[in-house]
Amino acid sequence: MARKKFIITITGVSLITISWIIYVTLNPMQSGTGMMKFLSLSELKATQESSRVRLGGKVEPGSIIISDADLLDASFELSQGEVSIPVVFYGTRPDLFKDDAEIIVEGKYLSGMFNADQLQVKCASRYEGDLIDESSYRIDEL
Amino acid sequence: MIPIIGGVSLSLALGFSFISFMILFLFFRTGDYRFYIAGWRSVLVVSCLSIIATFVLLNELIQSNFDIDYVAHYSSLQTPLIYKITALWAGQSGSLLFWLFILSIYCLIVLLQNRNKYTELMPWVILVLVSIQFFFLIITNFVANPFSPTDANFIVANGNGLNPLLQNLTMAIHPPTLYLGYVGFSVPFAFAIAALVTGDTSPLWIRSIRRWTLVVWLFQSAGVILGGWWAYQELGWGGYWAWDPVENASFMPWLTGTAFLHSIIIQEKKDMLRIWNIVLIVLTFSLCIFGTFLTRSGVMSSVHSFTASNLGPLFLGYVFFILFSSIGLILYRRSDLRSERRIESFTSRESGFLFNNVIFVIICFAVFWGTIFPVISEAVTGTKITVGPPFFNMVNIPIGLFLLFMTGVGPMLVWRRTSKKAFVRNFSVPIAIGLVSLLGGLIIGIKGYVVISIALIGFVMAVLLEEFIRGIKSRRRVKNETVITALVSMVAKNRSRYGGYIVHLGIVFMFVGFTGRAFNQELEFPIKKGQSQKVGSYEIQFISLKELERQNHFAWVAGLNVFNEQKEIITQLFPEKRIYFHRDPNPDRRQPHSELSIFSTILKDFYSIFSGIDIEEEIAYIKIMINPLVWWVWLGGWVLVAGTLISLWPQKE
Repeated sequence: MARKKFIITITGVSLITISWIIYVTLNPMQSGTGMMKFLSLSELKATQESSRVRLGGKVEPGSIIISDADLLDASFELSQGEVSIPVVFYGTRPDLFKDDAEIIVEGKYLSGMFNADQLQVKCASRYEGDLIDESSYRIDEL
Repeated sequence: MIPIIGGVSLSLALGFSFISFMILFLFFRTGDYRFYIAGWRSVLVVSCLSIIATFVLLNELIQSNFDIDYVAHYSSLQTPLIYKITALWAGQSGSLLFWLFILSIYCLIVLLQNRNKYTELMPWVILVLVSIQFFFLIITNFVANPFSPTDANFIVANGNGLNPLLQNLTMAIHPPTLYLGYVGFSVPFAFAIAALVTGDTSPLWIRSIRRWTLVVWLFQSAGVILGGWWAYQELGWGGYWAWDPVENASFMPWLTGTAFLHSIIIQEKKDMLRIWNIVLIVLTFSLCIFGTFLTRSGVMSSVHSFTASNLGPLFLGYVFFILFSSIGLILYRRSDLRSERRIESFTSRESGFLFNNVIFVIICFAVFWGTIFPVISEAVTGTKITVGPPFFNMVNIPIGLFLLFMTGVGPMLVWRRTSKKAFVRNFSVPIAIGLVSLLGGLIIGIKGYVVISIALIGFVMAVLLEEFIRGIKSRRRVKNETVITALVSMVAKNRSRYGGYIVHLGIVFMFVGFTGRAFNQELEFPIKKGQSQKVGSYEIQFISLKELERQNHFAWVAGLNVFNEQKEIITQLFPEKRIYFHRDPNPDRRQPHSELSIFSTILKDFYSIFSGIDIEEEIAYIKIMINPLVWWVWLGGWVLVAGTLISLWPQKE
């Protein structure tokens, strides 16, 4: 008897929590659940998706413009191969943000401009990069 | 010459691990004890060779031998000695070798400690351990060899150096601690498999690994907390936990490991939950391997994974191999695994433990689900859907609060059945305190989960205090001791129980800290030297800007005064903007870095980041965060470690 009651409760609790997990998963549009699409730039351009999305890509070299009036105000071009889109971002930029950095931005695409409110640098590529720099040199060049 | 020894040791170790398999199989076929001894010795050789290989790599790192690709990538001539050592686990192949290294040390301990013990189980334990070594030896020999030479076309005059973010003392301790935890679960897993194969699933195997599991769990808990501490001190987003895949990777085995730690008590005391325990340890170990896979295969893009590689399929295949072979064994032994005893009452300690276990596993599932959801969504719909912290918080906060509630209920339940009378006697005071906290919170206008959390913290704290007070009272009645001596001797007499309560107290403290997050404030602003800025009820004044040149970087140091509402100065903060390798002629090699300045008090932390500087105008861009109660998270961590140590301290017979 006690065992039965026990099994029923355990199953009940498990079912409730599992349905809770499913509920949160299925309601991604509800504000603040933190689920959003991760699109490629061409997909974004094709669909003109206007909900909050995430994008990944490289910072187009030479495209970073930082406002003279406010150093926190930056705009740059995000590129994926041939495709690129303009991005504006206001806020503290990560230390590793620079030309050619691989980054992930989060925000909304509105009338041809991506308004990012989150900016992360994907990795410190320098630390995995090829050893081609001024401290190393090719034997055949000597 | 010396680097060759490393590569050769690894190859030899692989060979010997294969020989160990053969010899142990011969033992299982013939039962000739000499084969067992030969196998035992051969695994000893595998372990020693792996350890030697690790020391060789360490030596090369210290000597800066850039002919080895790994050394050239992760250290430089300027890297301080301590970070040359930590470079051992900074990169992929090195960290996999480090995994093997720790496993080999554990293996040696198991081999020597149980030389003449558990004669039935040990051959299989050794076999499982050497098979795990075999897997990592294959990887370090063929897929990610830490001794592979630098491309012959290059002469490397200086290496790349270690990422400044990793040049932090916490980063020197955090990975090894976490690894000691991760890898350590191999041993209970090996014992569980041995118990399954031999058919002896009685509490014997549990007894042999109980203390071991607790030590491993301690390392893992400390590792996870240190990781959060590092993120808080170094990464500059003001938090300690971001539900990053790699953080989740360390958290999931911790959850199942904690469940395991609780449920083995029941098997030891009551011989129940045999299947459940085996399932939990298999799950935990698989999650440890899965975690290494997440961290090191680059399958998720995350701040921790500096690499992408072809390790993925191998690791995933190995996880499935572990899961399927274990499930097969469990099904094969299912009749032996049936426990004789049943749960007698709903209000028993057994049922409380089981409840807590289910909750742990469900949280683990929720975290797992959120972690792999991007991969699954991409495979199914073609569009990758990323999952951010709000998802994890939304899912886990209510379940976590329920778990906190169970932390309070558990100790009050007695074995077999709690009578109504005992129930009322045990719970009336804590429930009253919980309700008072709830009312107090509501009156000052706190709502939602936060007020529930406050009520539960009050409740659980009362339960724990009551346990201690009751124990002290009954000792004083009998022995006529002072409160302090009664407390000390009570804890000393019953270490695992009271140590456990102290761990719970640590967890409650951590929940205090988590609850504080609801009241975080932050502001980001440009400020001219001499000006002030209001942040919440505080005022920040920018008083000085210094330029300093240090050994491997250049720094601008901002001096900030923090005033409270009464215009009294609370503290001074000195966040820095640094440029590493500032003398490097190539501007791409110079690297900016923001060094935080944090003033921590028991009530709130003042957290400052120097994000940018306009040198001509003398304008600094500052981000200030006021994070209440974060201090309690670290306090909770220390209490947790202290409690576990008390539990572990050997009891005089």
